[in-house]
Amino acid sequence: MDSVLEVRNVSYLYSKGTPFERVALDDVTVSFERGKITGLIGHTGSGKSTLVGLLNGLNKPLSGSILLNGIDIWQKPKEIAKIRYKVGLVMQYPEYQLFDETVERDIGFGPRNQGLSDEEVGLRVKEAIRYTGIDADLLSKSPFELSGGQKRRVAIAGIVAMQPDVLVLDEPAAGLDPKGRREILGHLKDFVSERGASVILVSHSMEDMAMYCDNVVVMNEGKIHSNGTVSEIFSRADELISIGLDVPSVARIAEKLKSRGITLDGELYTVDGVKAAIRKYIGGANNDL
Amino acid sequence: MISDITLGQFFPGNSPLHRLDPRCKIILSVLFIVAIFIADTPIAFAFLFLVTLFLIIISRISAKVIFKGIKPIIFVVVFTSLLNVFLTVGKGAPLVEFYFIKIYTEGIVRAIFMSLRVILLIIGTSMFLTYTTSPITLTDGIESLLSPLKVIKLPVHAFAMMMSIALRFIPTLVEETEKIMNAQKSRGADFSSGGIIKRAKALIPILVPLFVSSFKRADELAVAMECRCYRGDINRTKLVKLEYKIRDFIWIFVFALILSATILTKFLPDMITRASEVLDILFYHI
Repeated sequence: MDSVLEVRNVSYLYSKGTPFERVALDDVTVSFERGKITGLIGHTGSGKSTLVGLLNGLNKPLSGSILLNGIDIWQKPKEIAKIRYKVGLVMQYPEYQLFDETVERDIGFGPRNQGLSDEEVGLRVKEAIRYTGIDADLLSKSPFELSGGQKRRVAIAGIVAMQPDVLVLDEPAAGLDPKGRREILGHLKDFVSERGASVILVSHSMEDMAMYCDNVVVMNEGKIHSNGTVSEIFSRADELISIGLDVPSVARIAEKLKSRGITLDGELYTVDGVKAAIRKYIGGANNDL
Repeated sequence: MISDITLGQFFPGNSPLHRLDPRCKIILSVLFIVAIFIADTPIAFAFLFLVTLFLIIISRISAKVIFKGIKPIIFVVVFTSLLNVFLTVGKGAPLVEFYFIKIYTEGIVRAIFMSLRVILLIIGTSMFLTYTTSPITLTDGIESLLSPLKVIKLPVHAFAMMMSIALRFIPTLVEETEKIMNAQKSRGADFSSGGIIKRAKALIPILVPLFVSSFKRADELAVAMECRCYRGDINRTKLVKLEYKIRDFIWIFVFALILSATILTKFLPDMITRASEVLDILFYHI
């Protein structure tokens, strides 16, 4: 497997040496495949956000290393800012980071910090709004006039405009309605296929994982619980349920049917997959359906 | 990290200090502060130092936490001590003379007293107020202590409510600042290099979002309070009523004694000389 980011034996503690000390990551080793969308799931407090903060060098792991294209990101601590352009991190609720007078200037903040010319920044902004589905009319508006979903997309565009090799999104669709989710996540595939970039998508929603991701990494209590392709992970739905995660509702239907003696096969984590499997099962017994 | 600052943080517990009435603790802090500012002899400082040590021991708060609490002010203390050492002009001959630098004994003594004063002040008051009193009980205490001022139409309740809201949101604001800083760092913002103007400019991407979200939060909080029919202190009753216990009076009495003892130390040398004079005269006559 060609991995773009590798996490090797990484551990991290919060509030080290105080009564509030808490282990956030415990000897985590995992790698993220180049050119793919990898989902990162786990319930609250499983260490997802901590891991994400380590990937672009916001925090330094207490032990272990993080390799970007095979090179330790902390090899030259003074140049960690450059790593942040290569591993673009969209934090949770990123709309809170908007500050500039116009949407265009705000999206261009990252590229300007990279030291690009005005012309180049302009091109980057145009490209970024295409990948995030923002109307060009919005560019001259103040970011504070926009709706919640639009703000969110502008914030994501601000990271996309830096043209990172790896785009890391921490719960990009949290608090949005299904339409808003589709608008934000739907464009990710274009970004990956056209730019050859890789994406790491942190989410609670198994439906999103099933729909948009190629691979899935499951985290539990600061450790990697399992990792593999979407079908590998969701074929073990019972395990995910046992660590308190939700599986896609259709996968739960398949699971229930299985416990009643009806074993389906196929892609049992998307609506279409389960539909096809049920049809096949019933079709075998009764050709009328 | 910013969130590691412990000054002004409440540590839940059940020590004798935690159980005291908040009004009592405010009064005790005031007595203690007055004692610290009156003290100006080594004996008085040694005495107040022991009192502080006693408070730390019975509060069962770890020394590490307390040390972390005073860490942020150490620079100020050292800086003012140095000013005192170098700028105080004493009566006798200078202790050290080096070109224009003259150090007098008085300067050193003053610097030591000043540092002790600041450190004891911070530890003493945070022992009573911040470390052992939750912000809510503290403002309850303030409101109750100030309630006589309602007679002259001072909005005591509003004042207390403002304080408790402000205190409550300090950690939130710190957390938020950290989050926004991380978000802007992820976009390549640089807060730690360049000249003053460049650094001040680098703060804009932090301050704007911080203000926006603070206003938004204030608005949301106001709406939430109104939804629960908040109308200031009109007809508002308390779940936990503050009541003075005997132990509160004992503590206040003891601290009044401590304060008087500190005042007495001021006159101690004077009294000793006067007493010896009296004795001299007596012996002379015998």
